[in-house]
Amino acid sequence: MKLTTPHNSGVARALRDALPIVVAYFPIAVTFGVLATSQGISRWVTCLISIVVYAGSAQFMMVSLVTAAASTTPLSFVLTILLVNLRHALYGTTLGPSTMHWSERHRLAAAFGLTDEVFAVTSSRDPNDPFAPSSHIAFTFICYLSWVAGTVCGASIGHIVPASVANVLSFALPSLFMALLFLGTITPAYLISAASGGAIAVVFTVFGFGSLAIIVAAVGGASVGFLFRKWARLAKARN
Amino acid sequence: MQTLFFETLAIGLGTYVIRFGSLSLGRRFIWPAWLQEWLSFVTPAVLGAFIGLALLMSGRHIEAPAHNPSLWAGIATAIVAWISRSLFWTVCGGVILFMITSRFI
Repeated sequence: MKLTTPHNSGVARALRDALPIVVAYFPIAVTFGVLATSQGISRWVTCLISIVVYAGSAQFMMVSLVTAAASTTPLSFVLTILLVNLRHALYGTTLGPSTMHWSERHRLAAAFGLTDEVFAVTSSRDPNDPFAPSSHIAFTFICYLSWVAGTVCGASIGHIVPASVANVLSFALPSLFMALLFLGTITPAYLISAASGGAIAVVFTVFGFGSLAIIVAAVGGASVGFLFRKWARLAKARN
Repeated sequence: MQTLFFETLAIGLGTYVIRFGSLSLGRRFIWPAWLQEWLSFVTPAVLGAFIGLALLMSGRHIEAPAHNPSLWAGIATAIVAWISRSLFWTVCGGVILFMITSRFI
């Protein structure tokens, strides 16, 4: 009897793709839950943020903005976070062609789980090995569940986790981004794009651009990497 | 807390509109090759931005390397990421390395 049916292989693939993200998400979500509740956000609003927003870096930024509430109006609070999440538009437009033959229902479900990590894993898939919508939605749903479950755990134990432990756990986020950076195909243009993005974000943050720094870094860093690749191709053609 | 509740709903809705709208738009149009190539650099640029801010900044100020455990842990974590090419080992290694550097710096 053949054990691997197309359905099983789809779920197996979803689990295989999701496992590293689940392992990374859970402690980060616990950290988010701990940090949010320790900053005075109620347990149920902390969980609601993960359930409704589901965007790690934006959620951490929400916590830091809540602590600076005196200088933030509700409108600027919402706009700042949405500006940070605007980069998801670039993810959607990148993955859009891969969903050409999906139904609207599948696309509606898939869009909700379009996070940085899900995009990084999805966009690094072999283009000759397209993914089925059900497999992709299962993959995003598993990641989402781990994020929400981690938040619930963190929010529940937030009051007993020492601040020093919460501080150490917070480093899981940059570690996750580094893992994602080195997971893809590494080329000089790719690394230059990342370095430029980092430099632009730092400079714009120093000059007080706040969350806009990420948007500028995304556009600027991508443009530098793109132009470097063009230049490298031209230089190679001349030689 | 009531204000944060409504802010959360607005952010959730806005984020979903951005995600779905772009996914739907990306399906309807065939983007030119140069734009698709440019978009392929968005991910490393965004990742670089987050990493840069997390490792170098303290609020709006650049942290001095001598007093910055995140920077040294980050450099060591990058080596782990480069060698292992694994999300799991990089995140575990990063947290442990940060714990170590935080003790000494």
